[in-house]
Amino acid sequence: MRIRLSLRAGLTTGVINVFVILLGLSTLFGNTLRGWLRLGGQAPGAWLGLVLVAMWGGAQARRHAGGKSPRAALAAGGAAGLAHGLLVALFIWAVAGLSERGYPIRTWLAQLTPDVVRFLGLGLRPAVAAVVSMALLMVAGLAGGALAWAADKYAWGATIRSTRARLRTSLKEAPPVRRFSGYRHSKRALIGVGLLVVLLAPLVLGQYWNYNLGTVGAYVLLGLGLNIVVGLAGLLDLGYVAFFAIGAYTVALLTAPAPHGIEMSFWLALPVSVLMAALSGILLGIPVLRMRGDYLAIVTLGFGEIIRILSRSDVLTSFTGGPRGVRDVGGPSLFGLDLSSELYFVYLILLGIALVAYVTSRLQQTRVGRAWMAMREDEDVAAAMGVHTLKYKLLAFAIGAAFAGLGGGLYASRNQFIGPEDFVLLVSINVLCVVIIGGMGSIPGVIVGAVVLKGIPEVLRQLSDFRMLVFGALLIIMMIVRPEGLWPSRRRRMELHKDESPPAPAALPLEREMEVDTP
Amino acid sequence: MNILEAHQVTKRFGGLIAVRQLDFSVPTGSIVSLIGPNGAGKTTFFNCITGFYKAEEGALSFEGVRLNALRPDQITALGIARTYQNIRLFSEMTAIENILVGQHCRLRSGALGATLQLPGSRREERQALTRACELLDFVGLQGKGDQFAKNLPYGDQRRLEIARALGSQPKLLLLDEPTAGMNPAETGEMMAFIRKLRTELGLTVFLIEHDMRVVMGISDRVTVLDYGVKIAEGTPLEIQRNPQVIEAYLGRGAAAQHGPA
Repeated sequence: MRIRLSLRAGLTTGVINVFVILLGLSTLFGNTLRGWLRLGGQAPGAWLGLVLVAMWGGAQARRHAGGKSPRAALAAGGAAGLAHGLLVALFIWAVAGLSERGYPIRTWLAQLTPDVVRFLGLGLRPAVAAVVSMALLMVAGLAGGALAWAADKYAWGATIRSTRARLRTSLKEAPPVRRFSGYRHSKRALIGVGLLVVLLAPLVLGQYWNYNLGTVGAYVLLGLGLNIVVGLAGLLDLGYVAFFAIGAYTVALLTAPAPHGIEMSFWLALPVSVLMAALSGILLGIPVLRMRGDYLAIVTLGFGEIIRILSRSDVLTSFTGGPRGVRDVGGPSLFGLDLSSELYFVYLILLGIALVAYVTSRLQQTRVGRAWMAMREDEDVAAAMGVHTLKYKLLAFAIGAAFAGLGGGLYASRNQFIGPEDFVLLVSINVLCVVIIGGMGSIPGVIVGAVVLKGIPEVLRQLSDFRMLVFGALLIIMMIVRPEGLWPSRRRRMELHKDESPPAPAALPLEREMEVDTP
Repeated sequence: MNILEAHQVTKRFGGLIAVRQLDFSVPTGSIVSLIGPNGAGKTTFFNCITGFYKAEEGALSFEGVRLNALRPDQITALGIARTYQNIRLFSEMTAIENILVGQHCRLRSGALGATLQLPGSRREERQALTRACELLDFVGLQGKGDQFAKNLPYGDQRRLEIARALGSQPKLLLLDEPTAGMNPAETGEMMAFIRKLRTELGLTVFLIEHDMRVVMGISDRVTVLDYGVKIAEGTPLEIQRNPQVIEAYLGRGAAAQHGPA
């Protein structure tokens, strides 16, 4: 029984290793290590990766099957290493043997490049390479088992945890930190410093990062808008990109020389785009808001696609520019000064975010926001408590759409070009991800979510082809670890406590108020 | 003087007649109970009064205002509030927020006022909060206002639901099985609390209840429904002796045994 558990751990990690090779992840790892450690080639790094996985297998075997004694740990690790090594060795033998005979493996498995075959073959004959790799992986399994045993015996985990806790408390207790957190306005000071950093950062970031920052900013605007619709009012809108498109097209068509040649000022076109988006939110809202949940999601999804298809349709080419989009969208200028550089747009978008965040936080904390949240929790009960649900749904749609329109207008003007392909379904889904990953109904959450969702792929750019794979895995991990979002919404404390509240009038204040309102 | 009147109200679901030609009235300032076996149409009648269902036939009026064509929120604004058989609080909101939502129809500030922080809006918000705290105290939940509704114990949730209903400053309060799932001690407290609603706030209370001790203990009048039809009406004592009621509850044989002496 014990030995079977060990073998299973070895085989599972062996399968993982084979997949790692098949997906080309081991070469990626090898190349990254070569870059960092200045190694001669990718092979050492790649093998290190495989060995680490095999050690992990040994450690797993020790955890599930090993007893307390060191011998049992070694037996479990060894058995796992053996199974692991056999599997991987067979794979290497097959790959190396086939490629030696000139069989075109790459037609079937695209990631098995000659480079990969070379590092797997170790420069030896296939059978020899298989034996050597098996021995190596088995030793790795043994080592994994032994390490796991040692970690248990000397309680490394507990030591690490207690050291971390000690470090944290000593940091908190450090005189400067304590003095700072004791200071009454310390929270405000921190926020102030953060704001200052955000305001000054674009000056030193350079064009490339400012462009990315602007894109993140546009997503923050979209996220804050969708946050009202989905996060507060609980209306699942999968066609949200439509309002983004309407805002963008409004600014583009009003300011570009073609196809209409209106060439209106950007400052006039922007409010028009916000208005148009809000209006279309209401127009879409009227027919669909009697639907709930999944049905609403599907109808809005259709609406989003309709707007995109209309914008690229041949019939409307003379009006929307058709598949070729609209070029030379006008930029902002002030007193004859041209403000359409990346830098100015970053500040313009930051200004938009500040405005939208302020409006959202005001609404959230007052009657309108509470009505939305009540609808999200239970629509029927909200109606029974006096909330005119249709009206508040329309309001949520209109305000959410207005924010998206603002984002769209700024986006169109910054890019100076828009086309139907800027408004695909994926944008709606990305914005929804921003809201969910950040934390539904939370303003800082949406900002963090947008930075993570649009920022991480940029940071991961050096992983090239595997960027989206790693990104997807990160998203899954994030949602497992923090299902409520990265920065979930918090509630203010609202209950007035006796010492704070104004002295109550002598007898039964409740009854008296009742009489005032119901004579 | 009746605060609520129903005349020949009928509600159908397809072929099923849930409420059939019901004549019913609630005198102002009274505590009235509606009883009947499961599926008799009691909650359906509640839903017709609050506008969640539309009655196909008949007329419902509250203080002389016809209710049939009104939306639920308009009916709440007139002064009718309710609770639910299976507690339906806004679970992801705090207790205070729940009561503030209850006050929705008595507040006026809109999106613009809130955004611009107009003085009127801010004053109203402050008053609403004060009032919510008073209601919290009134139902005995002081100190629990900032907890999420879902985290409150069962009995507290029942009382919070009533506080939320009181937020809309109702004249008529509809309680759907307020003592469901309570032990005898809690039931006793709830009965005292319902009486307090009438004496201290001057409310008219209309309740659905299964617990006969509660029904007989606090009601001025009791109405019995069976298969959507009113089979009896009267004081608690009259209802207890009514053979038709005994039959509906216990079956024909029992009715014969308990029959009129």
